[in-house]
Amino acid sequence: MTGYLIRRIAQGILVLFLVSIFTFFLINLAPGGPSSLVDFSSTAAEREARLARFELDRSPVERYGLWLTALVTRGDLGTSINQGLPVTDLLLQRLGTTLRLALGALALAVAFGVTLGILAGLHHNRWPDHVVSVISTLGMSIPNFWLGIVAIIVFSVNLGWLPASGSGPIGQRADLATSLRHLALPAGVLAFSLMPNVIRVTRAALLEVLRSDYVRTATAKGIRRRAVVLKHALRNALIPIVSIVGLITTVLFSGSVVIESVFGWPGLGRLAIEAANGRDYPVILGVTLLAGTVVVTVNLIVDLTYAVIDPRVRHD
Amino acid sequence: MTEPQALAKRRKLWRRIRRQPLGLTAFAVLMILILTVTLGPLAWPFDPDRANPLNNLAPPDGTHWLGTDELGRDVFARILAGGRVSLAVGIFSMLVGLTIGTAIGGSAGYFGGRTEAVLMRLVDVFMAIPAFFLILVIVTTFGNHPVTVIVTVGLGFWAQMARVAHAEFSRFRRHEFVEASRALGGSHPRIMLRHILPQVVPQATVLATLGVGWAILTEAALSYLGLGIQPPLASWGNMLQNAQQYLWLNPLIAIWPGLFIGLTVLAFNLLGNSLRDLLDPRGDS
Repeated sequence: MTGYLIRRIAQGILVLFLVSIFTFFLINLAPGGPSSLVDFSSTAAEREARLARFELDRSPVERYGLWLTALVTRGDLGTSINQGLPVTDLLLQRLGTTLRLALGALALAVAFGVTLGILAGLHHNRWPDHVVSVISTLGMSIPNFWLGIVAIIVFSVNLGWLPASGSGPIGQRADLATSLRHLALPAGVLAFSLMPNVIRVTRAALLEVLRSDYVRTATAKGIRRRAVVLKHALRNALIPIVSIVGLITTVLFSGSVVIESVFGWPGLGRLAIEAANGRDYPVILGVTLLAGTVVVTVNLIVDLTYAVIDPRVRHD
Repeated sequence: MTEPQALAKRRKLWRRIRRQPLGLTAFAVLMILILTVTLGPLAWPFDPDRANPLNNLAPPDGTHWLGTDELGRDVFARILAGGRVSLAVGIFSMLVGLTIGTAIGGSAGYFGGRTEAVLMRLVDVFMAIPAFFLILVIVTTFGNHPVTVIVTVGLGFWAQMARVAHAEFSRFRRHEFVEASRALGGSHPRIMLRHILPQVVPQATVLATLGVGWAILTEAALSYLGLGIQPPLASWGNMLQNAQQYLWLNPLIAIWPGLFIGLTVLAFNLLGNSLRDLLDPRGDS
């Protein structure tokens, strides 16, 4: 187990290292350079000074070396060229806001997805299964940003129940009710597009368990179906659901980029878009690396959890 | 195979196809959509780019079936023009992802060893970056020419395809027919293309169909954010870019493009699911 853990962590670090190389050299191919450097009011000397300050006068290979050294030795991701702030500060500022949205969406998606998946599995090929299948296909097909716009039209413009944008006041004025009201629409919309994955895995897992020998044995012994399902089938069917969390983390990140824009949610996705538009190299690199780290870490945790809750899975 | 046998086989296939009413409907809807967006502009009297500030944000009526947008352009004409762009981007992106994914995943699975280790690590890298971040970085770097958008969206899809191709190619690598071909002096590219690739076609078709839906959604999101297809060229995604500002004045212009995206992607997804059932009778989902 320890050997497996070390191997997995080493693999993860290698993947993240490659992600950083790939992203770094790709964005350095971008023509134009950082937007804050294209300032016609500044003199050539001022521009030179700023280039020197961000070491943009050096070659990309040299800069990558400097960037990596700073990251490994001091945990320093560099300074935002357009905002002048340390990238780590910017990321930490936004990470909490994005996590709030992500966890809210994840909780809703798992709660509704698992319930609907069980419903579909228990009524295989009968009308509840078909209804759930329709919901799931709609979740896969409707663009989530458009659903967000429709939700704003209905709940903010027409009914006036929920705020159309922002993550609510922060600091001392923030209270739970206001925060939840701001969270409701973006998290709900994001959850709707994540749900199909949860439904599909839950339903497939339940169907497989229901077909297994021990469930048939339990039924043959004369145990009531309710008891068979609750005591024997569900417990084992819920195991694969853990794996979905790993699967949907990447989808969650991609989705939050768009949803944050629809609802003016000041998170990592918005930061990424601002950075991309302003060609703020260190910030783009930082956001991508952070997202990659979360994906790699969540997948590792999921695999480990799997081994703990399912004794048949052994890592060695 | 004798003639009656072939006929019986074809009849059997047709019977199985008929048992997929949803898939058939989806196929019909897609054909209608494609015909409408390609031939529609010939019959529709309005130019998608012609602005008319005197008649902007108009509600639907007999002349402008879906109303007009903030510049007074006919929304239906823009839906037709945008549909061509969105469908084309979706289909070509999928082809890009499919080709790259099959080539890389297939080689990894077929050759094994060090080639496999290196190529699959590359796949891991792409799987670790959430697709949208990757696409954001590439579009920033290479700009948003429609061809760039197509390639970029395709790159968000190839790693998934590579995993499937990898599994399939490494499964077939040890099969007897591959060994036999090898013994007869068949070259590696020949074996990969002539013998193994056809075996992967059913799986690839399903994934490709679902992939088009995914690509259309991704292009739409990208264009909505102003990073994809650029106005004045219409796409279903960029029609939504400005619509959000006019929600209070005319929410309908924010509704139409989304309905068309949803309908199209829905049709591709239903078709993909039916194809999966059709090609793999054992599956139950």
